[in-house]
Amino acid sequence: MDFQFSEEQQRFRMELRAWLKENLERPWIEELRDPKNDEKKLFDIRRSWQAKLHESGYLGIHWPKEWGGRGLTVVENAIFAAEAIHAPPIASRVGINLLGPALIHHATEEQRKRFIPKMLSGEEVWCQGFSEPDAGSDLAALRTRAEPDGDDFRLEGQKVWTTFAPWSDWIFVLARTDPDDRYGGITFFLVSLHQEGIEVRPIRQITGESEFGEVFFSGALAKREHMVGALGEGWKIAMTVLAYERGSMSLAHLARFDHYLKDLVEGVRENGSLQRADVREKIARLLVEKEVLRANGYRTLASLASGQAPGPEASLEKIFWSEYSRRLADGALDLLGLQAHLLVHSPHARPHMDWAQEALYSRAVTIYAGSSEIQRNIISKRILKLPSS
Amino acid sequence: MQFELNENNALLKTSIREFLEKETPLAKSRPMMEETQEGFSKELYAELGNLGYLGLTLSESEGGAAAGVIGLAVVLEEMGRVAFPGPFLDLVLAGETLSRVKSQQASQFLQETVSGQKSVLLARSEALDDLERSVIQTRFDQDTIRGTKLPVPYGASADVLLVTTAEGVALVPRPEEGWKATSLPALDHAQRFVEISLDSPGRLLTDKQSADTILKEVDQLGALGASALMLGLMEGSLELTLDYIKERKAFGRTIGSFQVLQHRAADMWIRVESSRSAVYRAAWALENSLEEASLLVASAKAYCGDSARFVCGETIQLFGGVGYTWEYDPHIYYKRVKTLEQLYGSTRNQLEAALQSQGI
Repeated sequence: MDFQFSEEQQRFRMELRAWLKENLERPWIEELRDPKNDEKKLFDIRRSWQAKLHESGYLGIHWPKEWGGRGLTVVENAIFAAEAIHAPPIASRVGINLLGPALIHHATEEQRKRFIPKMLSGEEVWCQGFSEPDAGSDLAALRTRAEPDGDDFRLEGQKVWTTFAPWSDWIFVLARTDPDDRYGGITFFLVSLHQEGIEVRPIRQITGESEFGEVFFSGALAKREHMVGALGEGWKIAMTVLAYERGSMSLAHLARFDHYLKDLVEGVRENGSLQRADVREKIARLLVEKEVLRANGYRTLASLASGQAPGPEASLEKIFWSEYSRRLADGALDLLGLQAHLLVHSPHARPHMDWAQEALYSRAVTIYAGSSEIQRNIISKRILKLPSS
Repeated sequence: MQFELNENNALLKTSIREFLEKETPLAKSRPMMEETQEGFSKELYAELGNLGYLGLTLSESEGGAAAGVIGLAVVLEEMGRVAFPGPFLDLVLAGETLSRVKSQQASQFLQETVSGQKSVLLARSEALDDLERSVIQTRFDQDTIRGTKLPVPYGASADVLLVTTAEGVALVPRPEEGWKATSLPALDHAQRFVEISLDSPGRLLTDKQSADTILKEVDQLGALGASALMLGLMEGSLELTLDYIKERKAFGRTIGSFQVLQHRAADMWIRVESSRSAVYRAAWALENSLEEASLLVASAKAYCGDSARFVCGETIQLFGGVGYTWEYDPHIYYKRVKTLEQLYGSTRNQLEAALQSQGI
């Protein structure tokens, strides 16, 4: 048992900290607050921040060097995520975190050469085409079709909840190549968004932003050379993507939660309620659960670092951090009152923390990347071996 | 980063599990809890002493096994799994207290505790609603200890008591007279609480200041130990539940195939596994004397308390009517964790300790 970072890992953290101090002009929250920044401008900031990280070797930290990575482990990658919480999120988050592992595990050498470098540099931004209006939690019910057209395919159908679709250049798509084979009839394609037969519409979310979109396909070209894996292997590859989406993310969230809880404690100190027994109990439970989350995170990290692929245990982490995120935001809204409702650019808003945004966003995290209910299905079937009905 | 047990602790886990599965499955241990005065088997405890389990955390020169805090957690987790009866953790804590008292007399009693020859227990609490022992009224005066301690878990079976007094920790060998133990039957029928009134000859082992230092360390070990016990109890309770809902049929199908029960079982598992992460991280921090140990131990105890209450309560609910019968085992787990929530630093006090460790 060892829950510690090694000396080299600590050194990596210190170097990174110094680099961030040098290179990060202002915290992301200030960009968000700046009235000059509209959604387009904010996305440009994320893109140029990504380019800067790429030049300095801080992207794909745990990827093999031959694919443009730094050749370190998931532990250093987690350290990066924790240290960089005040920096803009990178533009190509979906591509690097989700598609990256799928390409490394399942793509051909030509495909890796073609796609990975531009994904890392931010030249090509990716979005994920999995969910559909009638295939959310029940993903295998997806109906977007890939019809053969000579050597290639033509796509017909619709994807939804496509994060960053309005800003993306490429989409990785699960499409049906056999209508009669639920799992074996799905294939994984890399598809350009800049072509005829594709329409992207933004969806406005409860926060007012349009981070999501819908993507409509009517005869868009999906090239055979851009098919990942063989025909009908899409489901298997999608499972790799989803496992990485769920696994090993606790530490990044933790760094945010550390910052949030600190702000909450400061807030109740300022409003004079810190000595109230009910307030103390609420804050103590949030503190305790945060440490449990950290212990779970270290444990997953240890298992990934020893070379194991993310397994069904990733469902535990996903449920824990996402549900904790709701409890934390609700706790802050309870204890800080309407001060925590003020939007980031409002007078009297808390200077370092956007609780309103966090409270609303916390309703999304228990739905995306496999809802809490799907995670509980995975645990009860795959770990507890409870019988199917 | 590594979560696996090292070779020694993995071996320890296998050995203690084999021992417990052979000696104390619930079919054998329930008669000990329910039909004996002591509430446990003295022979088995002597055997544990022979095998070195009572001195698990002590150094080899003290007759211990030097298995460290992680080793202790491993053994207690296994004991929790089968709801092993009796004062195992209390004996370990008394041994740890004696080991920190540097006197010849303490070493002699330590030998006898570790080998299982004598039962030495701590007597600390003086009020049922103040388990934190904030004010100690028991006095040591002219070689006599006077005062009342309650509850003293398994106190009636003690050969020697380590009594906290306003003057420091005193050692009270069971005398012929002047030691009155009154039984306090409680919610957990396997527990043996007593009230002990003392007007007894004894010796002071430490002054007040070093008593405070020693007991603070022992308390951390106690909280960690109780967390590991609760982890094991939850684990055992979840195993019972899974076995039951995979067998039991209603509406023409196994009840474990109903999604509503599957999700409840999943929530139980989440609690068990998260408690495991918390317990072993805290054990590791305590073993390595890290600064964050106080936060992590308090967190583990508070979280395991909340979780064990939930998991063992769900077991009764998922068993349905039979879960409320004396005959079935769920109540054994439920009652034990309700007691552990209060002992070794109640959840309420651990939450406060967690805040204070962070300057909040």
